[in-house]
Amino acid sequence: MTKLSAERCPESAISDAFALLSSSNNRLVSIFGSLDEGGTRRVHYLVDVENREYRLLTTAVTGPIPSATRISPAATWYERELHDQYGVEIEGHPDLRPLLLHENWPGGVHPMVDDTSHVPWAQRQYPFLRVQGEGVCEVAVGPVHAGIIEPGHFRFSVVGDTVLHLELRHFYTHKGTEKLFQGTPVGNGPMVAESVSGDNCFAHAVAYCQAVENALGISVPPRGEAIRLVGLELERMLAHIADVGALCGDVGFTVPAVYNSRIKESLLQASARLLGTRFWKGVAVPGGVRRDLSADNARELREAVSLAARDFAEMAEIILDTPSVQNRFESTGILSADIVREMAAVGPVARASGIPLDVRRDHPYGRYREIPLEVPHFHYGDVLARARIRIEETRISARLIEETLGAMPAGAISSPFPGESAGEGFAAVESPRGELLYWVRLRQGHLARCHIKSPSFQNWPALPLAMPGNIIADFPLINKSFNLSYSGCDR
Amino acid sequence: MIFDVVKRSLQSASVLIPVEQLLGNCSGSRMPDVQPALLTASIARRVTEACPTSALAFDASRSHLTLNYGECTGCGRCIEVGEGAFLAAAKFARCGVSKEGLVRRFDLNRVSEITPDEPAMAETAERIRAILGRALNIREVDAGSCNGCEAEIIALTNPYYDLERFGIHFVASPKHADMLLVTGPVTRNMAEAVRQTYAATPSPRLVVAVGACGCAGGIFAGSHAVVGGVDAIIPVDGYVPGCPPTPAMLLTGILQVLHRRS
Repeated sequence: MTKLSAERCPESAISDAFALLSSSNNRLVSIFGSLDEGGTRRVHYLVDVENREYRLLTTAVTGPIPSATRISPAATWYERELHDQYGVEIEGHPDLRPLLLHENWPGGVHPMVDDTSHVPWAQRQYPFLRVQGEGVCEVAVGPVHAGIIEPGHFRFSVVGDTVLHLELRHFYTHKGTEKLFQGTPVGNGPMVAESVSGDNCFAHAVAYCQAVENALGISVPPRGEAIRLVGLELERMLAHIADVGALCGDVGFTVPAVYNSRIKESLLQASARLLGTRFWKGVAVPGGVRRDLSADNARELREAVSLAARDFAEMAEIILDTPSVQNRFESTGILSADIVREMAAVGPVARASGIPLDVRRDHPYGRYREIPLEVPHFHYGDVLARARIRIEETRISARLIEETLGAMPAGAISSPFPGESAGEGFAAVESPRGELLYWVRLRQGHLARCHIKSPSFQNWPALPLAMPGNIIADFPLINKSFNLSYSGCDR
Repeated sequence: MIFDVVKRSLQSASVLIPVEQLLGNCSGSRMPDVQPALLTASIARRVTEACPTSALAFDASRSHLTLNYGECTGCGRCIEVGEGAFLAAAKFARCGVSKEGLVRRFDLNRVSEITPDEPAMAETAERIRAILGRALNIREVDAGSCNGCEAEIIALTNPYYDLERFGIHFVASPKHADMLLVTGPVTRNMAEAVRQTYAATPSPRLVVAVGACGCAGGIFAGSHAVVGGVDAIIPVDGYVPGCPPTPAMLLTGILQVLHRRS
């Protein structure tokens, strides 16, 4: 990972960023804004160059900037967010409707640059895209759904059962998190990061801590890195086991759904017993971790993981052998590799469509620098491929945990970190949903700015592109096979 | 094939946790407990400084320390600096209580707790059936949560907790519900949907605010995009603290609310 020097703003930053994005070897990671000390807005373009180097390009903004959306459609939501949050005018953007700020927000308020202590309530209109023609009906779903899931709105345009178009309306759970970070003491940052997406709380905390460590040039002791790896892979196992179970539940195959929920709970209880926390909250801190695993605890956790992995593998085999599952999963919700590239989709969604991105291998961090990683991928891009990716990755994660816990390095679990710290840095981890990146600017021991690139924000716009031609009854299944976080996206 | 699944499922031993072991259980929740006898003014000052939210408050002039569980995210810092006066809670029964019931007050001069901890509920499965009659229908509403509370609410349906054994079901519409289980700090963007969901729930109805965010806004309190806890928008009958509350705490809270209303 490159250490960032003091912020530079070359004149050519935007054209350089666009030139990078024009190449199919490069991928848009994020576009975000910040304010410098003089209050001037800056726009940052983060690009993954040839799958091996993150490059950050920064420009100072005084007037309108050209839209990157025509070069990389993946820029659409980033630029809408930039327009909402910083009031940056974007020329040539095809759709600058408000994204984060719903009808209740008055026009002209840009939370990252304006005083938001008393924002009046407004009642604006939000125009949805209208699909017209004979027999076209609209079906509106959410934000309050039928299941125990997060809020979001889905607007389907259908003819009969067949979906012609799906429009997403999200950001119901927008909590102003990036602004909330500003002014937070660096040491309290993990608590905010853990609350961005609860089921990936450890990945968020580790990504935040790594960004701080990158900014300050701190290294984590090997034992701390090993414990982080165990937590990250355990979180991936929990997510994937639950997802495969929920996919079965969505096709009415309840026995494996319940069985997988039992496997998941056994792992949560092991963490509660051995670390005092079911989801590894409060474990990651800048400089390392706050909880150690004794030799006995490490052995017990290893046994729980091995047992869970074996139970899951046997159940997964049965699931994939079941004709009714094959019938519903196969060729449902196909996302092509071309769309994955255009939308810069990441994580299991990309890997199921033949694009084998994985931060652990491409931009290794922590303990992953030392271990060769198998990155499975499939080509069909359907629900079945996304289920199989999760089954394969659960097996690999369990093996990584077993190997790590079997040979734990001795020594400290964390390094001291300075209270009065300043600097900029970023770091990415491969969360269960894909590339998760934090960019931080620290001043006097507090966060001056924190940007979160969440895999869900990146992948949500790809979901509607897997829907046309599918029947509306398959939407819950397709949606579940992406399993994106609403809160992680909305922040 | 399908028979293999059934066979496998029948072969595995029951993991059901008896209700007596669940009520008041808080394993893995990271909630703190206090030993009033060990509290000193310097500890009280130190834990209050270490607390990243306003869960702990120390009034030095009166030597009163207040611990508001509704604002506690279980970060464990008070335990780290509390020299034994703070420790991880072994039992936690303040679930489904009133807002005032979430608060503990200690008088350091008298080495005592002004509001003694409530005894853990001693419900039995029979007693629960007597309260519930035949069924309780719950509609879960995410008003802006991080999804941590949702993960734990979903866990209530797994074979360890098996909420259905008490006749408690999650239903798909507020129109079918007796109780709303509301998570999250209510965001600006969800405020109207929460109001409409409440209006669509037939009376008599119960509302339970879940998690540090649902109780008082949690780590998001004060954000420009957040309205506050659930009671900033709709009336609340009981509060379940925790970040997130564990399934055992959620069950304790749901039953406690019913108990208080029966």
